[in-house]
Amino acid sequence: MSDVLLTTQVGSLPKPDYLLRARSAFARGEISREELRDLERRATREWVEFQNEIGIDVVVDGEQYRGDMVAFFAEELEGFSRGGLVRSYGNRYYRKPIITGPIRRTHPITVEWWSYASSLTDRPVKGMLTGPYTIRDWSFDEHYDTRRDAVLALAEAIRDEAVALQEAGAEYIQIDEPAVSTRMDELDLAIEALGVVTEPLSVHTITHICYGDFHNAYPRMLDLPVDQIDLELTNSDFDLLDRFAEHPFTKSIGLGVVDVHSHRIETVDEVVKGIERTLEVIPPGRVYVDPDCGLKTRTVEEAKDKLRVVVEGARRVRSRLGIDP
Amino acid sequence: MAARVTVVGSYPKPPHEGEEFTLRRTLHALDRGDASVVDVRAAQDDLVREVIEEQARAGIELVTDGQVRWDDAQTRFAEGLEGFGTTGLLRYFDTNTYFRQPVVKAEVARRGRIVLDEFLFARDHSPVPVKQALIGPYTLAALSVDEHYGHLRRLVEDLAAALNEEARELAEAGCEVIAFDEPALARIPGSRPGDLAVLGDVADRLTAGVGATTVLQTFFGDVAEHGPAFFDLPFDAFGLDLVAGPGNLEAVHEFPADRILQAGIVDSRNTRLEDPDDLARRIEGLAATVDPERLWLSPSAGLEYLPREAAQRKCALLAEAARRFRGDR
Repeated sequence: MSDVLLTTQVGSLPKPDYLLRARSAFARGEISREELRDLERRATREWVEFQNEIGIDVVVDGEQYRGDMVAFFAEELEGFSRGGLVRSYGNRYYRKPIITGPIRRTHPITVEWWSYASSLTDRPVKGMLTGPYTIRDWSFDEHYDTRRDAVLALAEAIRDEAVALQEAGAEYIQIDEPAVSTRMDELDLAIEALGVVTEPLSVHTITHICYGDFHNAYPRMLDLPVDQIDLELTNSDFDLLDRFAEHPFTKSIGLGVVDVHSHRIETVDEVVKGIERTLEVIPPGRVYVDPDCGLKTRTVEEAKDKLRVVVEGARRVRSRLGIDP
Repeated sequence: MAARVTVVGSYPKPPHEGEEFTLRRTLHALDRGDASVVDVRAAQDDLVREVIEEQARAGIELVTDGQVRWDDAQTRFAEGLEGFGTTGLLRYFDTNTYFRQPVVKAEVARRGRIVLDEFLFARDHSPVPVKQALIGPYTLAALSVDEHYGHLRRLVEDLAAALNEEARELAEAGCEVIAFDEPALARIPGSRPGDLAVLGDVADRLTAGVGATTVLQTFFGDVAEHGPAFFDLPFDAFGLDLVAGPGNLEAVHEFPADRILQAGIVDSRNTRLEDPDDLARRIEGLAATVDPERLWLSPSAGLEYLPREAAQRKCALLAEAARRFRGDR
């Protein structure tokens, strides 16, 4: 495998129907945690096998065992209490966690799932963490005096988890910060906190931020202390590339080439075009090809189809560049 | 009344912990075809009665129906007016709450009453006066995709005319306080403040002939950089968020003597409970620059960003702080 135009994904994948049903049954107390866990392992195995089959280069576990990306970590860290229901949109609600005491990581959170996924593939599996800024922004805080205090306490907890993933053998560790784009005025705080997480890491580090006011945040965004920034390029019709032409994008890029909000499956030609436009401003060795964001809101079939198109598009460009198929 | 206690608008729809979430269940049943719009209406009516009673019991003296019949203000008014469609989900300012973004597809107009019937129901089931909130024309325009006008001012003008009709009818029906929610005017973290001149141009049109106390309601941020011109707008009252907008405390020093200040002093974005003595002291501070008879108190924004229990506690806390202030005087 040549390390050029590697294909990967942002993190989450849809849960199959049997797992959705089992989660509801577990919530109603009808099945045990062990029964649910078995089905989470089955879904994880199926997703890793699918990625093996289509030839994704950097695999994810698909987060079949997570509900919400913030609540999952809040439930595992000391210092959080389960919050009440608040509305997300329309008739949908979620339990927003509450910070009620000092935040501490008392045990590994994702390492076991990472190890399980790794045992099912010869390819590298990405360690997937939610970033300290996002966990704070999407929680209530009754304990810390300032947002900064809470974010930095979370940064230490997430750093310890990241170090544990590195020690377990993860070659790629992604720290998702989708909330950063909501409040670009706090970008400095997000940079500082991410620095705490990545400082002891020697592996390839990534952060994913969802679409926001990037035009104003660029090139300051390049100060995020990671090797790779993963961006939704398709959702914004690749308009950031013009900014990259003016001011070089100095990191690796996770290049979102399919929209995760639409049911339509992109054509391979569209993916090829997106990659080729990007290669005009960023060299292929620094381009990782993936969907715009986590695919968990799509159906299983839509997610699979979109991933096939991502892999095929990258393969076609590699072959045009004269790199191995 | 000195330091009248009110709310901004929304109230949590989820029930208290352990109780049945009837409205959510009924809406799901409606989606599956297992319930009718009549069932949904009944669930909404029950919840309106419940949240009004809850606010009043907590000591809120001017309540709302909690907007529990709405998904959100944008959707409610886009559906209620002529000329709108909707598109994908958009984040509501710096919250983690989303709404279907309205799309302006044709000339905007009022085809009939929008929230008037909701007001009448609330009024008939409330032991205390009921305030009605309407989305402001500037904010609705700012949060919509405009595929028709191509010109913000013209869209805001037409929205102001349509909302004015609704406000006049509300006032004629006996609504004593009508708030126009204009968060888009504030400097909210991560975004720029709105263009005050655009609202300024249509404000007379918006409030003309409305025989009620009109409130220009902002939240989530500062309006300080608009300067004293903000308070020159033709509204009887101004609602400011003194939690997320620390600069608003400065702006209040220039508050005109003939208007009402609705001070949002309890944080509606965090479950942490304020100390009632601290709140009472803050009220004292405000009363040094604003006549207490013209000072209203409220949470910093709508309460739906909190779980139900926290919202109820925040209301009680606000009322308790007002009592201490009144007792201290």
